[in-house]
Amino acid sequence: MAGLVEMVSVCFGGVALAQTGYPAEMHRLTLDHYMVVSAVMFAIGLIGFLTRRNLIIMFLCTELMFQASGIALVALGRYHLDFTGQTFVIFVLTVAAAEAAMALALVVLLFRRRESLDAEEWSELNG
Amino acid sequence: MDSPILATTDLSSYLPIVLVVLMAVGFAMANIVLTMLLGPRRAGRTKGMTYEAGMNPVGTARKRFNVRFYLIAMVFLVFDVEIIFLYPWASTFANLAPGSDQSLVWLVRILFFLFTTVVAYLYGFRKGVFKFD
Amino acid sequence: MMERVTYLYPEIALFITTCIVMIVGLSRELKHRKLCAPISGLGLLAAGVLATGLVPGFHVATGAEVDPTAGQILLPNLVPYAKVLVAGVGILLLLLQAGTVDRVEEARIASGRAAFNPLRSNRAEYYAFFLFSLTGLMLCASADDLIWLFLALELTSLPTYIMVTMSTSRHSSQEAGVKYFFLGALGAAVFLYGFTLLYGATGSTNLNQIHHAIAAGGLSGLSLAGMLLALLGVCFKIAAVPMHFYTADVYQGAASSVSAFLAFVPKTAGFIAILLLASCAGWTHGAGDSLPDALRTVLWVIAALTMTVGNVLAIWQNSVKRILAYSSIAHSGYMLVGVVAGPGGGTFATSGIAAVLFYLLCYGVMNIGTFGVLACLEGRAGADGEPAEIESLDDLRGLCQRHPVLGWTMVICTLSLLGLPPLLGFFGKVPLFTSAISAGEIPLVVVLGLNSAIAAFYYLRIVGSCLLEKPETTTGIVRVTPFGSRPAGALASAAGVIVLAIFGNGFMAASEKAAAYDGGHVEKKEPRAAGVPETAPQALGPAKAEGH
Repeated sequence: MAGLVEMVSVCFGGVALAQTGYPAEMHRLTLDHYMVVSAVMFAIGLIGFLTRRNLIIMFLCTELMFQASGIALVALGRYHLDFTGQTFVIFVLTVAAAEAAMALALVVLLFRRRESLDAEEWSELNG
Repeated sequence: MDSPILATTDLSSYLPIVLVVLMAVGFAMANIVLTMLLGPRRAGRTKGMTYEAGMNPVGTARKRFNVRFYLIAMVFLVFDVEIIFLYPWASTFANLAPGSDQSLVWLVRILFFLFTTVVAYLYGFRKGVFKFD
Repeated sequence: MMERVTYLYPEIALFITTCIVMIVGLSRELKHRKLCAPISGLGLLAAGVLATGLVPGFHVATGAEVDPTAGQILLPNLVPYAKVLVAGVGILLLLLQAGTVDRVEEARIASGRAAFNPLRSNRAEYYAFFLFSLTGLMLCASADDLIWLFLALELTSLPTYIMVTMSTSRHSSQEAGVKYFFLGALGAAVFLYGFTLLYGATGSTNLNQIHHAIAAGGLSGLSLAGMLLALLGVCFKIAAVPMHFYTADVYQGAASSVSAFLAFVPKTAGFIAILLLASCAGWTHGAGDSLPDALRTVLWVIAALTMTVGNVLAIWQNSVKRILAYSSIAHSGYMLVGVVAGPGGGTFATSGIAAVLFYLLCYGVMNIGTFGVLACLEGRAGADGEPAEIESLDDLRGLCQRHPVLGWTMVICTLSLLGLPPLLGFFGKVPLFTSAISAGEIPLVVVLGLNSAIAAFYYLRIVGSCLLEKPETTTGIVRVTPFGSRPAGALASAAGVIVLAIFGNGFMAASEKAAAYDGGHVEKKEPRAAGVPETAPQALGPAKAEGH
């Protein structure tokens, strides 16, 4: 039994040692880290939306942009020390769910007609 | 070293978790090793089926689903999202001064909110979403 | 606390109507199903009456304290005007919606070829979505919080995506619906991120507090970025330039009755949102009481580009619906001029906000007239039994001879869109000019004037084919719709164009009152919201407040 405890503590000790090698800033996340992550997510979503032609991927990209706002809102709510950010996130999630339902409905409808999800294939309306 | 996990010096409190993990891994490993050692090996058509002792798989997996599954998923979504809003309400409701008229207002509001779910349910019912035939 | 609920009575009335319509529309009995439209009309009427009863102002006296529960106090009188407007135009729009969905299905049921199947019927959803969207529009006007504004904008838009898709059974409607939805989701994501940054920069989602933070600390980089993203996202709703690509395709793909809806409802929601956001930033900066410089420049450019792009592209179109779609883009550009001009002296002639609010009314009425005429005409029935939509300008040839009432409705409403003097469009456009001049935006006024001239090309083409050209010999294929309420709606709009032009003073006074901007009162030096970076207090705000 004692050996087991020793084994476990060696495991955790190993983690701790690895952590001490890090510069102090690395395990102190600031608001900036969250904002950068959310900005990057937003940018990835935007670029993906503009470059990809598969409707499901395009929809996922808009979701990514929504969730980027979500991350930023939670982080900013923590920063400002109020619950507004988190409240906002709940509503954002709700709207995202409604949009997901609609997106899937539209995509299913179109897939039944065309057997394809390529946005380029629908070009009846041009001119 | 801010992390409370890393700051813990007495690691014995984690012992039960480690034991459970070891037991789970050990059980899985033991089963694999035991079947390798003891189990008979026979290949055959029945043996190679997807569900050896279950239903016979029919058709391809890429079949279209009945649209009804989709409707059920939507109804689920309505109730699912509804729940998110009940949690914050429930956790703050107790903090309101009991007996004040404010708490009645809050109760009426959440009841109105739940009423919208009832409408969604009624709508789904009349649309025939809950008819399984 | 309870008083604020009274300001939502119109929305609550509409919401309850929606619930009733959603259930009633799925009845097995045709006579119950047919009640959908009348019930919706009653609901809109009730909402309108309730809205007229709203006395402006859960309005806190000027001072340093901002009560976050006070409701939206920057444009305190906006709520009743916008809600009455929405209810009134909503009734006109409702008249056009008769028979948009379920036409073929109901005919099959009536002839006994099919039994009523709730899964195949779309009537309940259609009217419910119609009302949901209008509810969202009313909620936009009441918004005093970014969360509220976000939800209201989404409630306005989400139903319209479905309405476009289900409006006809043609492929092009579905294509239009998908295109509209995906770009709409993109727009929503963009303005949501803008709202997020605004919250981050000011520490509050309450519009009054955001205004306070901006007035006290100036427009920081983060809040400027947030404001710009929010405006860019909302540009989708009003079909302004960077986000206008969907407009022509969607208006063409949707049924005419739905196109009329799209041209008014999301646009109004977008303009209300833009007015609210801009009033948060405040027209109290710079030399001439304008928006903060960066915002003003961006809005200036968007306005000029939007009207130019809309008008120039409209010239090359041959489909009436596409022409009207591009004209709708151009009209957004005109209205943005009013936003740039700002509240000015507060009178009807000098307030750009009043001009925008009045022009929304004018545009709604005349636009419903033109799209209404298109909704009254239908081509030969296709293979699925659904009549084709009127597309080409040729279909309108000699309309004044064939169907004088519809023809003249089209002519009057088109000339009004052009802004010909005795008609409503003219009285709507004049305050845009005068307010921009009094705000000193002379180059923008020149662009506006040039564009009004360019617009004459294509409007006169429509008028010419209705009025001057002879009907083709093969015109038998264009028939008048059997649904009587559609011509009634179009005719009511044409009547409105004339009557409002003569007796519009009441509405002008109402819009002037609704445009009262209360942004100048912010006295400096109140405790700012937590986390707002401390910057040097700017002298601009208070100096402006004394200015007028």
